[in-house]
Amino acid sequence: MFDLTELQYDALSEIFNIGVGHAASALSDILNEEMRMSVPRISFQNRANLASKLCNGENRRICGVRQSFEGAIFNTDAMLMFPEEKSLEIVRLMVGGSLSMQELTEMEQEAMSEIGNIILNACVGVLADMLKQDIQSSLPSYHIGNSDELLSSYGDHADDIVLILHIDIALEKHEIEGHVAFILDMSTIQDLRPHLDQYITEMIG
Amino acid sequence: MNSPKTVLVVDDSRFSRLISRQIILSKYPEWRVEEASTGEEAIEKANTVLADLVLMDVNMPGMGGIEASEKLRDQFPTLRIFLQTANIQEATRKKAAALGIGFLEKPINEGRIHKVLEELGNG
Amino acid sequence: MLTEDRNNLFGHALKAVNAGVVLLDENQKIVFWNNWMERHSFISEEDALDKTLPEISPDLQSVRLLTAIRQALANRLPSILSQTLNKSPLPLFASQEEAGKSIRMQQAIQVLPIQTSPESHYCMIQVTDVSAAVNRESILRQQAVELRSKAHVDGLTGIANRRRFDEHGEESFRHAKRNGTTMSLILIDIDFFKLYNDTYGHQQGDYCLIEVATALSDEVRRPFDLVARYGGEEFVVVLPETDAEGAMHIACRMRAHVESLGIQHAKPNKVNTVTISLGVAMFDPSKRAISFNELINRADHALYKAKHSGRNQIVLHEESENEESSSAI
Repeated sequence: MFDLTELQYDALSEIFNIGVGHAASALSDILNEEMRMSVPRISFQNRANLASKLCNGENRRICGVRQSFEGAIFNTDAMLMFPEEKSLEIVRLMVGGSLSMQELTEMEQEAMSEIGNIILNACVGVLADMLKQDIQSSLPSYHIGNSDELLSSYGDHADDIVLILHIDIALEKHEIEGHVAFILDMSTIQDLRPHLDQYITEMIG
Repeated sequence: MNSPKTVLVVDDSRFSRLISRQIILSKYPEWRVEEASTGEEAIEKANTVLADLVLMDVNMPGMGGIEASEKLRDQFPTLRIFLQTANIQEATRKKAAALGIGFLEKPINEGRIHKVLEELGNG
Repeated sequence: MLTEDRNNLFGHALKAVNAGVVLLDENQKIVFWNNWMERHSFISEEDALDKTLPEISPDLQSVRLLTAIRQALANRLPSILSQTLNKSPLPLFASQEEAGKSIRMQQAIQVLPIQTSPESHYCMIQVTDVSAAVNRESILRQQAVELRSKAHVDGLTGIANRRRFDEHGEESFRHAKRNGTTMSLILIDIDFFKLYNDTYGHQQGDYCLIEVATALSDEVRRPFDLVARYGGEEFVVVLPETDAEGAMHIACRMRAHVESLGIQHAKPNKVNTVTISLGVAMFDPSKRAISFNELINRADHALYKAKHSGRNQIVLHEESENEESSSAI
């Protein structure tokens, strides 16, 4: 398993909190309503356990938006997932549709892709900035399927470790609270630590 | 030279608090930095140490930074308070301005904090 | 082919692509503006070159587009701007006529980083006209709504809908009258459903409706019996060739079945699970003639009585002297 010191965990947490903060700002603009996003928890998981962890053991139909990133320490996919109905309510609010997840139209799928894109770019962008990494990314793509299918959809590397950000979303006026999960494949997780340490040293000496 | 000031840094992230501490003490080594990790703790501390400036993170569990700032503003009408957040929204910014509370964008860096420190140092 | 010729070729090809292509340099100044952009913005490449987008379109409101451009140039991250979330950010028009009316084209935009060398950063904006797709979806959606209303099935629960009940109920009633057979109706309402929705949310509320509908359906077996969704949290059961005793029997089973589902509901009642109230009415053609609507009213009155006698119970409408009697659970 992947072990971070408290300080490293804290630094990573703060980096992502800033990222989602930016995303929330952008999404609030779109929604025209105050929206708050925070990262209360980061965890690391084996890909094999991923699906069950995220959906509490149920094999549900969920949707996600994926982008592939390429860089020195990031040769990976990141996926933003909407694991529950509640998170969809938020999307529905933004997108304005009233159809269920099964029936998202092409236009709605594209809107969802954009929402995923905003959050993914914000998280990975700020991570790359802080750790001074150059990265390239693909355009976002939309996926829907059973949690099992979706989460093992990029190869069967059951032992690979993924980083999971649990992101809480709260919409002020509508009092909706939802939760999305940002999953970052970190097959080269060893490489993250020295960069993280370097960042920490720079910031606090 | 002006007398050393006391800055209260409030943030649930220890890492963030350390960054602020480091920035403040490198510029003014004789100043004092107090820390709090929640809104509630911030209010407690403000009542025991005589803070000249408060740097308050917005996104905290429990009583958030905005609520804590409002409470502090009630108790200490002339206390300099600055909210720190990566998520700056017009509505919040206006509300803060009305209360005489400033805004600092995250990520925390020297550039952003120095100005605030200098105003305090010189004023 | 000579490099120069190739570049020339690519330049011409990009110019001719049937989608908007704009290239910005690292200062966000336009260095390429293709034919499609000229045609739909009514701005020539000459006029566009070396200006930023806000400069050629002063009312460009889109924070999202500007952020996307910055992200592409500074962080090399690509972005998409969907039509749904970004209504026509660029001043583009399908035709001269629409331009005159200030009707902007529906746009899907992609912002992509382009790097020709480690030091030179460019950004490409690609615009597609999605008006046709949007119109198509709007039509399909309307058709779906119409279709749904014409159908006989309730979208949520899968049982018969109100429309089906109206038809089948009327027909069964006419049949009963003609043949001199009895027919019964049960009107059912979920107790404290609004409170349930408020407490557990609409999603939970929907699941509850589905479960109750299924439970009720389980209790009718004969081919001409029908369980239908009558309203938001109301159901109705049509029981041809059934007298009061038979109807009460079924009503009892239904009440017990729903209670036994054990759907948690912290409501002000002695039972802490979801329950239903039922009103039963029978049509006897040998007695005074009534209409189908009157039969429904009777069942409704009986249901009302059940609600006001403590809920989670069944009341049978008694025809004689308009008296109603309460039935034990």
